[in-house]
Amino acid sequence: MRKMTQLGFGARAGGRLAAALVGAAMLASSAFVGAASASELTVWCWDPNFNIPAMKDASERYTKAHPDTTFNVANITQDEINQKLQTQFLAGVTDGLPDIVLIQDDNIQRFLQSFPGSFVPLSDSIDMKKFADYKVAAATYDGKSYSLPFDSGVAGLFYRTDYLEQAGYKPEDLQSISWDKLLEIGKDVLAKTGHPLISMDYNGDDLIVLMMQSTGQWYLKNGKEPNILENPALKTALETFQKMAQAGVIKSVSGWTDYTGSFTSGQVATVPQGVWITGTIKSVPEQSGKWRVAPMPILEGVEGATHFTSNGGSSWYVLASSKHQDEAVDFLKTVWGSDVDFYQGILINQGAVGSLLAAREGAAYKASDPFFNGEPVWQNFSDWLAKVPTVDYGTFTPEARMAVRAQIPNIANGGNIDDALKAIDAQLRQQMQ
Amino acid sequence: MSFALLRRGGVYVFLSIATFLSVFPFYWMAVGATNQSPDIVRGKLGFGGNLLVNFQHLMTQVDLPRVFGNSFFIAVVSTLLTLIVSSLAGYGFEMFRSRIRERIFQLLLLLLSIPFAALMVPLFVMISRAQLNNTFTAVILPGIASIFIVFYFRQATKAFPRELRDAARVDGLKEWQIFLFVYMPTMRSTYAAATIIVFMNAWNNYLWPLIVLQTPDNKTITLVISTLTAAYTPDYGVILLATVLATAPTLVIFFVLQRQFVQGMLGAVK
Amino acid sequence: MAQTRLDRSEQVNGWAFVMPALVLLGIFMIYPIIWSLWMSFQVGRGANFSFGGLANIQRLANDALLIKALTNTCIFFFIQVPIMIVLALLFAVALNDPTLRFRGLFRTALFLPCVTSLIAYSSLFKSMFSADGIINQTLLTLHVIGTPIPWLSDPFWARVVIITAITWRWTGYNMIFYLAALQNVDKSIYEAARIDGVPAWARFTRITIPMLKPVILFTTILSTIGTLQLFDEVNNITQGGPGNATLTLSMYIYNLTFRMMPSFGYSATVSWVIVVIVAILSFIQFMIARDRRRAS
Repeated sequence: MRKMTQLGFGARAGGRLAAALVGAAMLASSAFVGAASASELTVWCWDPNFNIPAMKDASERYTKAHPDTTFNVANITQDEINQKLQTQFLAGVTDGLPDIVLIQDDNIQRFLQSFPGSFVPLSDSIDMKKFADYKVAAATYDGKSYSLPFDSGVAGLFYRTDYLEQAGYKPEDLQSISWDKLLEIGKDVLAKTGHPLISMDYNGDDLIVLMMQSTGQWYLKNGKEPNILENPALKTALETFQKMAQAGVIKSVSGWTDYTGSFTSGQVATVPQGVWITGTIKSVPEQSGKWRVAPMPILEGVEGATHFTSNGGSSWYVLASSKHQDEAVDFLKTVWGSDVDFYQGILINQGAVGSLLAAREGAAYKASDPFFNGEPVWQNFSDWLAKVPTVDYGTFTPEARMAVRAQIPNIANGGNIDDALKAIDAQLRQQMQ
Repeated sequence: MSFALLRRGGVYVFLSIATFLSVFPFYWMAVGATNQSPDIVRGKLGFGGNLLVNFQHLMTQVDLPRVFGNSFFIAVVSTLLTLIVSSLAGYGFEMFRSRIRERIFQLLLLLLSIPFAALMVPLFVMISRAQLNNTFTAVILPGIASIFIVFYFRQATKAFPRELRDAARVDGLKEWQIFLFVYMPTMRSTYAAATIIVFMNAWNNYLWPLIVLQTPDNKTITLVISTLTAAYTPDYGVILLATVLATAPTLVIFFVLQRQFVQGMLGAVK
Repeated sequence: MAQTRLDRSEQVNGWAFVMPALVLLGIFMIYPIIWSLWMSFQVGRGANFSFGGLANIQRLANDALLIKALTNTCIFFFIQVPIMIVLALLFAVALNDPTLRFRGLFRTALFLPCVTSLIAYSSLFKSMFSADGIINQTLLTLHVIGTPIPWLSDPFWARVVIITAITWRWTGYNMIFYLAALQNVDKSIYEAARIDGVPAWARFTRITIPMLKPVILFTTILSTIGTLQLFDEVNNITQGGPGNATLTLSMYIYNLTFRMMPSFGYSATVSWVIVVIVAILSFIQFMIARDRRRAS
């Protein structure tokens, strides 16, 4: 029998007792006083052009109906959020943590599984059938769902109509194509216009994730075992990436700023990415009317391949340590979980495609966007949203992604794919110990 | 003769190139603060007219006076306490030698190299248990006893004339009085150099404040820069303006104390 | 009798002066280190741990990432530190010439980089070295290169950028140490050498370097420590990539603790690897210094 020790030298036990007392006191007070006392909910999220204004909008709506509940929406970077949550959970300390926090989908399982009880299971009070399946699945652990699914991360192929036209391609030519076909188009575009097809951070694996997930595969099997060596989707994705890199149609960039700069400054012809990139693409008004969005190319020859995939979506979570749990849950339920009108607003203002399926019946979703040549892009995205294959990210996705990233430059330079897969598998297994 | 002249010319060319490379990033930073983000990405080298707009954007995102107040408070208090505690220790190790304390000192030198990443989590647990989370005390406390500064003061103390201490003892001064009234005034330039180093470190500290300071009200300017950089659509004009503002105080301190700084370093490496 | 009393008061005073620092270091350094030593024998995920004996040490043996991080740290150390120290020495010797004009200006300019915060200068370098950044544009305009250099997306160039950045930030700092030390060197030695017809280069290698040896050793130790602790720069400029080409030991520890499934026992073990390395290095450096001192 191994002796289990708590990291906090037993500080946790004291904390738990205190929490129980506080909880009991809160129950007692709410029973007598009701929920009339004024409270401020703290929210952590990270993008001033995207999720922060969306959250502020939601909170204003809620405060209008519940004047006693106010909000403090703080701008904390994603790296900081992960690091703060992890340090505090490790230390068994919860003071200073917010009531509601935004976490990226592929990162949540490690928190749910390594620090059980840290988040409030929202499926107890909110009907999860109202949201896209794959979003709910990402945050389900032990039969309960913990997220209020937000930013869907559903992906499309954003492209510059002017560059493609110069190379002799029409919008129809990009519908329902394969990645190999896109590569041929890319070669033409490069030859005729000098613009690379896409830009990619060689310290990232977004492109691989987009390709692989469209087939319903992930780096891990059932979220637990490495799924690297026997994963045809991954192999084909890496091969496709290598072909593109070797053909010179990929502009390699470093870091996020470089990446966004490559299309805001008009260098690349297409951007395959999650819908949340819309805000950045539209941040250059001069490019209005030059963009369109096609469905993602298909990873041909791989079982289960579709045109639907996602990347980088995130969701809201209520921390179990919150002193205003009920209000936080009620807020998410009433605004984020049912206010269709609210979703129209954040769609128009922030280009945020949420995961609430009912929202797509709203007027804004049906409207076309002049920036994208009058295409009904929102309707398209929300149709794709419902079809994104579900994958189980499991607990070791950060490790897997790091292992893949380590091989990206090597693969781009023409390295052997099987060797790379072996190296990825070895590193991942080592890190999963 | 002409060879000497040639060599002298070479020295000037060498130093001028080095100076250019050394100063250019500062110019780039200042220029960037006055330009729009797209111009900066394109590498525009001249000053632009966007300074006020950048400033307004920065002000709407960040409570600048507050953030600067926080940074100043932390840096000033850290500097004062570090100088006192570390100079006391440096003086003590050098002036009152004993075998045990020498061993301890050697151990400290070894500890100097332990990366902060290794101490982060235990430190955080301690701070949290002391209920100091999200306080400036938590930021300041762990850094006060700086091994490097203790070492630095010990080195500098080697140059402190012992006769001064002996004379003071004859005059009947107590040891703490000797430290306060003889040592400290004599070692002014050592303190000046240490001030620059400690203030810079405290002002620029990133990882530890990032961990212990939770609320935006308590953020420091360094944390603000990292937040600005991590946005989905980072505005380089705003980031570089913040960088300029964050660098300005350390620049001022350096220019004010520059002369003493060089003298102080002189003492430390004897 | 009087002698012992003096000794005792020396002892009391000695402890009194160092005590505040020792207490603080005990709490904020020794205790966490012991705690992490204890942790390095624990295995487990998240907040639950159990005694794992030497499991973490076994894991070290086949950790390719650790090897990678060690290799990178060595590359940074063996390339960057010598470049920086030689540059700093050259600057110091040049600036030590009292007949040199604009001395103060040069000195200030060369020291200036060290007042910038690591975060600030990292974002600065990142923007300068971006694919379409000012560095590439300048090189293209001057026809030094025909196509842009993939500074941050190629493993080799990414290392070059990190080395350049660290050298920019720290050379002036080291220079000040040497400059200060040089001003302590007796000028008459140089005069005598000059009269004897010793050429400048020989004066540099035969007089300056030996005279500065203790300071050079000191700055080398500081740089060793700095290299082992390298974090802010790589985290902000390259995130350790591409392909882990710039992953450092400190960054690996940070990743193990905060970016991956938390395994604090193992990250504590890796931290102790650094402690052991530094202990060995310091020992070697001090031995070299002592031997040389004996020989001379």
